[in-house]
Amino acid sequence: MASPFAQVTESLIRHRGVLGAMIVGVDDGMIVESTLQIGVNGNAFAALSASLYRKARRSAAAAGFGATGFLELTAEQGRVCAAGAEELVIIVVCEPRVNVGMVRVELLRAVEQLP
Amino acid sequence: MASDDIRTMSEALAADPSSLIVLPLGEALRRRGELDVALRVAMRGAERHPLVPDAHDLLARISADRGDLDHAIAGWEQVLRLEPLHGGARKGLGFVCFQLGRLEEAAAHLGAALAADPGDPTLAVALETVRDALRQRTDASERATMPVKRSAVSAGLESATTTSPEPSPLSPAPDARGTGSPPAGAAVGAVVGAVVGAVAGIGRPTTGLPYELRSPEADSGAVFDDLLEGQRSAALLLDGDGLVLAGRYVAADGRDVAADIGAQLSGISDEAGRAMRHLGLGQWRQIVFETEAASVAMAPSQDGVLLVAAARPIPLGFVRRVLERALERALDWVERS
Repeated sequence: MASPFAQVTESLIRHRGVLGAMIVGVDDGMIVESTLQIGVNGNAFAALSASLYRKARRSAAAAGFGATGFLELTAEQGRVCAAGAEELVIIVVCEPRVNVGMVRVELLRAVEQLP
Repeated sequence: MASDDIRTMSEALAADPSSLIVLPLGEALRRRGELDVALRVAMRGAERHPLVPDAHDLLARISADRGDLDHAIAGWEQVLRLEPLHGGARKGLGFVCFQLGRLEEAAAHLGAALAADPGDPTLAVALETVRDALRQRTDASERATMPVKRSAVSAGLESATTTSPEPSPLSPAPDARGTGSPPAGAAVGAVVGAVVGAVAGIGRPTTGLPYELRSPEADSGAVFDDLLEGQRSAALLLDGDGLVLAGRYVAADGRDVAADIGAQLSGISDEAGRAMRHLGLGQWRQIVFETEAASVAMAPSQDGVLLVAAARPIPLGFVRRVLERALERALDWVERS
């Protein structure tokens, strides 16, 4: 039985350069729903990306910047994009060549579907 | 802690010398004021468990209780090498730096501690106390984070321990780590007199910046001004400890809150580095994120991080461009400084 979030992750992974899309618990880094290409270590990405998002959210709030929306981490061999709601964060693992602007728009749109 | 408990733990440690019970035993002795015995136990714990941050944290707190601030700082620095986000070590260093008049460093450490534990109200009070002390500084040499005069230290201590209506983490108070044990703050508070007397001659570990980079002549605050969009954005160059090397962040009330902002946000780069090591994506190059109030972009720069923040609705793409130009500027500035 497909979870109510399957449509969200399946929509995101259709974009060129997207290797995986996951919906993850912000606090525990556990995967709620995922659509991954073969070879992507979903659990590791979920845990570490959620931790990074959590850290950014707490730090930004402590710095007086308010709630955090979209986050993008660019590395030598890939990108991780994230956008979160109260308890869940959508994480997208991408190749370096991905169209980040498109991913950002889709992520922010998808977040509105989260509880 | 009852004597029976200490005896029980001692026996357990004797039966198994590699047991981590050495840590609560040392803490119990510290709380009873048996500092010499506690120190021996803690040193044994740190030798046995060199990779356990709490072993070095205990040693640092006992050293602080004994008035040995050099060893206290060295101990907490070791904790941070093992666990960069260790809130107790940040708070301990924040307090000691405050006592030594190193206010920017104190603000950075306390800010980092607050970032690690935003729910701890005592940290917010401590940070505000340090900010007050910073605001009192008018002399240029004091702004360059040289040790403040003894009178200034005394004034800071007075505001932290006497005049503050709320319990301050800079004064003897419950442990900010939430363990219920007496805090590093209390430990250091007990040796305030010794600190004030020794501050001029104390050897200072190198947690901060080279003095040359802090000199007022370098005008470090204005390095990025011409790259920014007026008052609605800011750029900061931070060192590996989250301390401000260059740039400024002026709040709406006119205060430069660069140290606070830098301390809060630099922890994100630590988290990014940790994630990259595990995920095998190579070195991280940039982090950008959007918040309600600002768009923020960060990038590694030599041993530290460069941070650009712009008030919304300045677009994220613009912030990234500014970041790239600011990176070049930062490299040039560091070379010239």
